[in-house]
Amino acid sequence: MTNTIGEIEQAQVILVSGSNTTRTHPQVARRIYNAVDAGARLIVIDPRATKIARHAHIHLQIRPGTDIALLNGIMRCILDENLIDDLFIEMRTENFLALRDMLLGINLADIESITGVAREKIALAARTYAQARRAVICYCLGVTQHTCGTANVESYANLAMLTGHVEQEFTGVDPLRGQYNVQGACDMGALPAVLPGYQAVSDATVRRKFGRAWGCELPQKPGRTLLDMTHGALRAGLPGEENAPLAAMYIMGENPMLSDPTLGRVRTTLESLDFLVVSDIFLSETARLAHVVLPAACYAEKTGTVTNSERRVQYFRKAVEPPGEARPDSWIIRELAARMGHPMPYASEAEIMEEICLLTPVYGGMYHDRLAAGHGLQWPCPDRDHPGTPFLHKYSFTRGRGRFEPQRHVEPAEPPDEEFPFTLITGRSYYQYHTGTMSRRSPLLEREYHCPRLNMHPGDADRLGLREGETVRVVSRRGQVTFTLHRTDEAKPGRVSCDFHFRESPANMLTTAANDPVARCPEYKCCAVKVEACHE
Amino acid sequence: MSDALFLHKDHLLPLLRRLGREYRLVGPVRNGLGDTMYAEITDLDQVRLDLRNQPQNSLKSFLFPQDDPLASYVVDEGPAREQALTYFPILPENRPTLFFGVRPCDLFGVLYMDLVFLGGRYRDIYYEQRRRGAVFLVLGCNRPFANCFCNATRSGPFLEFGFDLQLTDLSPEGKGYFVEVGKAGGRAITREMAPFFHPADEEQARLQYQRVLESRGLFEQLVHVDLACRLLEQDQDTSAILADLSARCQDCGGCAHVCPTCTCFTITDRPRGKDSGERVRCWDACTFAGFSLMAGGHNPVDVKRERLRRRFYHKLKTDVQRHGRPSCVGCGRCVDICFGGVDIIRFIRRLTDLDEARSTAAGKET
Repeated sequence: MTNTIGEIEQAQVILVSGSNTTRTHPQVARRIYNAVDAGARLIVIDPRATKIARHAHIHLQIRPGTDIALLNGIMRCILDENLIDDLFIEMRTENFLALRDMLLGINLADIESITGVAREKIALAARTYAQARRAVICYCLGVTQHTCGTANVESYANLAMLTGHVEQEFTGVDPLRGQYNVQGACDMGALPAVLPGYQAVSDATVRRKFGRAWGCELPQKPGRTLLDMTHGALRAGLPGEENAPLAAMYIMGENPMLSDPTLGRVRTTLESLDFLVVSDIFLSETARLAHVVLPAACYAEKTGTVTNSERRVQYFRKAVEPPGEARPDSWIIRELAARMGHPMPYASEAEIMEEICLLTPVYGGMYHDRLAAGHGLQWPCPDRDHPGTPFLHKYSFTRGRGRFEPQRHVEPAEPPDEEFPFTLITGRSYYQYHTGTMSRRSPLLEREYHCPRLNMHPGDADRLGLREGETVRVVSRRGQVTFTLHRTDEAKPGRVSCDFHFRESPANMLTTAANDPVARCPEYKCCAVKVEACHE
Repeated sequence: MSDALFLHKDHLLPLLRRLGREYRLVGPVRNGLGDTMYAEITDLDQVRLDLRNQPQNSLKSFLFPQDDPLASYVVDEGPAREQALTYFPILPENRPTLFFGVRPCDLFGVLYMDLVFLGGRYRDIYYEQRRRGAVFLVLGCNRPFANCFCNATRSGPFLEFGFDLQLTDLSPEGKGYFVEVGKAGGRAITREMAPFFHPADEEQARLQYQRVLESRGLFEQLVHVDLACRLLEQDQDTSAILADLSARCQDCGGCAHVCPTCTCFTITDRPRGKDSGERVRCWDACTFAGFSLMAGGHNPVDVKRERLRRRFYHKLKTDVQRHGRPSCVGCGRCVDICFGGVDIIRFIRRLTDLDEARSTAAGKET
C-alpha cells in the first residue's frame, strides 16, 4: 500500500477493485465504512455483487477480466472532461502523450460492449474519482490474478497519476495483501528476481554486497517463478537444458497441492521429483507427498517480525514453546545450511534483523529494540533515527518520474464457449483461510462454513433445473469437481463462483494455468466451465 | 455508615501483597503495548497496575474460559471392533481468587453468570469450581468511560449491593479510598487485615457521596434502556432497524466475546490421536449462522437480521421477563469492538428515536 490503512478513513472517494473487502480484509472494510459515514463516495469494480459492492454508491459490475477496458474508459472520460492534473503530470510523470494518444483512439461504445457497464456509469465514476481531492484505490486479487494482471495494475497506476492522486496523504494506490506476512516475504526477497529490499539479482553491485556479507558468490540468474516450479515437469526442457525440470524442492508453509492452478499438473510435478521436503505446522496435502516432513513452529511459538499491507514491520514475541520436535523455520534453515557446509552463526533473532538492516536500505532502521517499543515502523526507514514512512511517493517515485504505461484490453485466456458456457471465478470465504490447513482444524469455523458451494444465478439454475443444496458437477478442460449448489444473484447470469479452501472440492482442479507474462501469476479469476446435475 | 472504612492510597499495594498469600490475584494490568486488561498477577512488583482505565476484557474468561477442556477420553476397541469412549472429567483447581479493581459493570456480569451457571436446575461444576471462594473488590467509576451507559442499566457507576468491598477513590482531596463493606468475604478481609483500615469520618463520607453524584452527571452516552425494554415488551416492530444494522454485521462474534454476560458455548471433541482426545467447551455466539444449524442442514434462524434480533432481544427482552432486568450491563465494550457499528447502543437509540418520532407525530395530529 502506498498509504497507511488508517488513511482510508479520511478519503473522499474510495475505489475498490477486485476485492471482497468485508470478507477478506474486514479491518480495511471497517475504515471504508467509517469514511462512507463521514460522507465519502464508494466506487466498487467487481463482477460479483459482493457485500462491499452492495454498499457502494457506484458499482461497476464488469465482465470478468475487463479491468483495462473499463479503466481506459474512465480515463477517456476524465480526459474528455478535462479533469486531469496537468501540474502533476508535468512535474512528476513521463510518457503522458502515449497514454493520451491511446485514450483518444478508443471508442466508448466499444468499452461499453467489452465491459458490460453502461457508459453513463463509467462517466459518473470517472467524474467522482477525478474531482475528489483525496481519493484512494484499493485493489486485490481480482485485479492481479489474470493473464493481464501486471497490465491491470499499471492501468490503476495510470489512473492515479492522471489525476494526481498519489503524492499526498489520503491519496494513493493500495494493494491489499492477503497473508499476515506476505509483504514481508516479498520484502525479504522471496521473489525470483530480487534480493531483500527489491534489490535486483541482475545488479552486480548488489550481488557483491550480499556475497560479501554471506561469504559466497551469488548466482547471476534470477530463480524460477512458482508455476515454473510446480508445473515444471510438463513445461520444462530436457535434462541438462537451462529450464530442465527440478530434481528436488523444499517447500515451506505453502500448500500448492490445493492453492496452485491445474492441480493435476502440480501432482505430476511433485511426484516426479527425486526429493521433496516440506516444512509446515500440519500435515498438508503437499506434505503428504513429501519424502521428508519437517515440523515447523507456528506464529505464537517463535520470535521475529511480520510486515503487513501498510508496510508496517511489527515485532512479535514467542508466547509458548513449540510442541514436540517442531522448530522455527529460521532454525530449520540454519541447521540445513550448517549441514550443507555453510554455517549461519546467528546468536539471536535480533542479530538476523541487524543483518537485514545492514543489507536492506528500506529496512535500514528496523532494529528489534525499536520495533518492540511500539506498534512497529513502516518502510522505508533507512536509519535508526528515521520515524518510518506512512505514505509513499511524497516528492518523487522510486524510479524518479512515474511512467504512464498505456495498456489495451486483453481477452481472458479461456472465454466461455458452447461446450463450457460458464465463467468460473474462484475466491475466498470469511470463515476459512486459504487452503484450510489451519482454519479447517477449528471446530467453530468449520461449523460455520464446511460445505463447498458453487454460487449460481437463479436464472441459470432454473434453466438447468438445479435446486438449492443440490450436488452439482463442475467440469473444465482440466478436471471435474463436485459442489453444493447455492442460488444467489451475487453474480450475473453466465458466471459462477466458488472458494478454493476445500480438499474435498479442490477448485484448482478446474482453473487454468494460463498466466501473466511478467509476474507469471495464474488466471485464477477466470476459466470456462460447464455445470451439470450430479445423479448418483 | 457504621460499616464505612478508609484505606490510605499507600496501603493498597501492601494490602494486596498480604492478600496475595491467601488468594490468587486478578486485577487490571497495563501491558507493554499500552492496553489495560484484567490479568492474573503472580508478582505485584513486576506488573503495572492500572486503576485508571477500563480493562478491555471482562472477568468472564476467568470463570468461564474461552477454551475449557471438560474431560479427556480414550477410545477402547471392543471384541466386535465396536468403539467405546470412556470419559474422565477434568475439574479445574479451586483456588479462591481475589478480583480487585473490578468495575461495577463487570461484577454485575459475574452476578448474571451466577444465575446462568448456578441458578438453574443444574449447577455447572466447572464454573462453580472456579467461582467458589472468589472475593470481589470493586472500584467505583469516578469518571465513566467514553462508551459507558451503566447508569441506564443500573449496574454502575457505583453499586449498592453485590460486592465484597467497594472502593471509591477520594483523591485529590482525600488521599485514599472510601471502603464500603458488603458481603461476608469483604467483612472477613477488613477483620483479618484490620490494621490497614480506619473508620471513615464524616468528611470522607461526604466526599464519597459527592463522587457518586458527580459521576452520574458525567456520562457521555444517553441511552434509554428502560424505554427500549418497554417497547420490546410491547412488541414494537424492529425488523427495519435490524435489517439496516445487519447490513454491516461482519459475523465476527466480537460483540459476544467481549460481552460480560454472553454465556453461549458449544462443545466439541478434539482428538489428540486415534485413541484419545479432549472434550472442550468454547465460547459461541448467537450471531453465528451455525449457532442454530441443525444436523440435517436446516437452519431455523438463517437470516442475519434474525440472528441480530436473537442477540439484542435476549439482552433486552427475554432476560427482563426472566430475571426482571436487562442482561446488558452498559460496559460499552461491544461498541468499541464492532467493525460495522452494529452495537447495542445504536440498536437502542434507533428503537427509542422511532418511538419519539412517532409520539411527536401523534402530538401534531391531536
